[in-house]
Amino acid sequence: MSFRYRMVAPLIALFLGVVGFPLAYALYLSITDYKLTSSGTPRLVGIDNYVSTFQDGAFWRASGATATFVFVAVSLELILGLAIALALQKQRWARDLTRSMLLAPMFITPIAVGLIFRFLLNDQIGAIPHLLRAIGVDYDFFGPGRALFTLALIDVWQWTPFMVLLLLAGLESIPREPLEAARVDGARGWYVLRRVTLPLLAPVLVVAILLRCLDAMKVFEYVFATTRGGPGTQTQTLQYFVYQTGIQFFRLGSASSMAFVVLLVVLTVIVVAFRRVEKAKQP
Amino acid sequence: MKSTTPWWRLRPLLAVLAVMTLLISACAGSGGTQKTEATGTGDVPKDVSGTVRILLENVPDSDIVKAMVPEFTKDHPNVKVDIEMLTYDQMRDKLVSSFQSSTPNYDLIVVDNPWMVDFAKAKFLQPMDARIDSTPGYDATDFFPSLTEITTVDGVRYGVPFYNYALGYLYNTDDLAQAKLEVPKTLDELVSTSKALTVGDRAGIAMQPQRGYKIFEEWGNWLFAAGGSIYDESGKPSLDTPEAKRALAAYIDTYKTAAPPNSLNWAFDEAFRSVSGDQAASMISYNWNLPALNKPGSGPSAGKFKLAEIPGGKQVLGSWSWSIPTNSGASDAAWALASWLTSKTQDIQRTEQGGAAIRKSTLNDPAVRNGKFGADYYATIEKILANASPLSQGPSGEEMIQAVGTELNEAVAGTKSVDDALAAAQAAAVKIQG
Repeated sequence: MSFRYRMVAPLIALFLGVVGFPLAYALYLSITDYKLTSSGTPRLVGIDNYVSTFQDGAFWRASGATATFVFVAVSLELILGLAIALALQKQRWARDLTRSMLLAPMFITPIAVGLIFRFLLNDQIGAIPHLLRAIGVDYDFFGPGRALFTLALIDVWQWTPFMVLLLLAGLESIPREPLEAARVDGARGWYVLRRVTLPLLAPVLVVAILLRCLDAMKVFEYVFATTRGGPGTQTQTLQYFVYQTGIQFFRLGSASSMAFVVLLVVLTVIVVAFRRVEKAKQP
Repeated sequence: MKSTTPWWRLRPLLAVLAVMTLLISACAGSGGTQKTEATGTGDVPKDVSGTVRILLENVPDSDIVKAMVPEFTKDHPNVKVDIEMLTYDQMRDKLVSSFQSSTPNYDLIVVDNPWMVDFAKAKFLQPMDARIDSTPGYDATDFFPSLTEITTVDGVRYGVPFYNYALGYLYNTDDLAQAKLEVPKTLDELVSTSKALTVGDRAGIAMQPQRGYKIFEEWGNWLFAAGGSIYDESGKPSLDTPEAKRALAAYIDTYKTAAPPNSLNWAFDEAFRSVSGDQAASMISYNWNLPALNKPGSGPSAGKFKLAEIPGGKQVLGSWSWSIPTNSGASDAAWALASWLTSKTQDIQRTEQGGAAIRKSTLNDPAVRNGKFGADYYATIEKILANASPLSQGPSGEEMIQAVGTELNEAVAGTKSVDDALAAAQAAAVKIQG
């Protein structure tokens, strides 16, 4: 083996052990009929699990619910995060205090956040419905057609600070000259934001959106703590569906095939997103 | 110029891949069950030795067991008891991992009723007939038959009852007296009483229509009250019958008119808080919630609650059972503890402390009847356990319960009609359980 291969060998070994083995094991399980309640070597079933996954309406409904959740949550986080980051950038006093307070929700474990909101939004004992009723508003947070958006709002509460953190770092790294030149030329706030700030911030925005989308796709704890996938299957997200199939119903083979389909879709989205960014960079 | 790598240069990579393939195929189901050197008998001497590692759910009954252990170890000085307590959802995963492992974590476990058939058929649990029958003075016939039926799979007993969580009708006596109403005896009376008890913001009944287990567990009682059943006489699911339709329509009507508004995702915690906080007059819940509701200081109406049978007299039954895993490392010591805890003497002690009853004789014991929870309470429990059935009685119980519970929740949410939801529930139950 040549020197260069020997130099990368430890990295490859580590990669195979940490990433490769679990992935390969999951791939192997996905082509077997493995159930957690079965003993002995599982039977190979080829692509049967994948065929079942593609034909399973519940899987695609869960995919749709997850996509809606990700779109709503990340869009709101982006808009709010950008607004807060722009405001914080201009802040002159108590900056550290404001920033540390804003970041607090991120440090709470998501299952605790889910439980907090389960009771905060409870119609009889929750503070939020109580306050809303005081101004004449009666709103069923976990009712049909609303529960998924409520979960997205919980995500917004917890993860907008993350967006703020990334965008603020991006804003503070933008060179001052183009902004000052635009102002000297008479450009006003909204025009500067649209034509100068946002284009310069684009690489950070892409990374921030991608990171949040990937994280939001994993939503499980809020569902588990509040709705258990209901009403009906309206908040049954992919992670909850895969958890139920693999752990609750013991069908680990089927759950692995679902996880691989999700992995494939996510990888495709990431590759397409990065290719677009690369293309946009080219003159 | 493009260089090509000779195939033999790839030998290390091929070797790694080959090793990984072998490892991967060896992993699935590699642990499994192993034979233990246990006597298999119930006549366990007091000098039996070993460490009994137990997994329990984090509930009050487990605390009672924990408090009783020192008395057991006084009698069995060579047995060390190591108890781990987890929440329900964590338990199943830990149990299954332990069953599959060649170095198991648990020697004695508790099994929830929907898991029993799956665990027994997977040979994760030791058959216990020989132990039960050969334990001196154990008297297994004294257990409520509804509880021992759950531990019996294909005629073999895989456990002994730990505690029941049969449901009952819990109500505020003052509210019922004020409304000049009797305890409901029929489904129609349950609906009308719940509506009559609804006054202003105060709900007549706190319901638990959360998707999955909770709604099925609650609605099952309404189904029984309507004269329906979850399985027919041949053991096939029977969820789209006229009785089931009547029960679901009544359930939805009551939810819309007598339950707290916007409570579609409510489970046990919310319903209990609502009733104990005096924001609802009644609920259908576990029988052993009565002592907690009446505990001084637990709420404004503490001491005013009573327990009754579900209208119609039949109720949904849940049960935890003690079982010994096939790969238990201390089977004899584990049985010594399980049989001691479930013996007549200890069951009386456990029940007196607020534990849920499992033996008929316990409920008729003067110490229990005249205890702090009152004779009425135990007399009602006796009736409840005499006529109670579990939600599932076949394999894949958990999956069937979740599937049916999803359809029921759809109907309550209004996203499916009663007929469509029950037809889908029936189809799902048949598909899952055959």
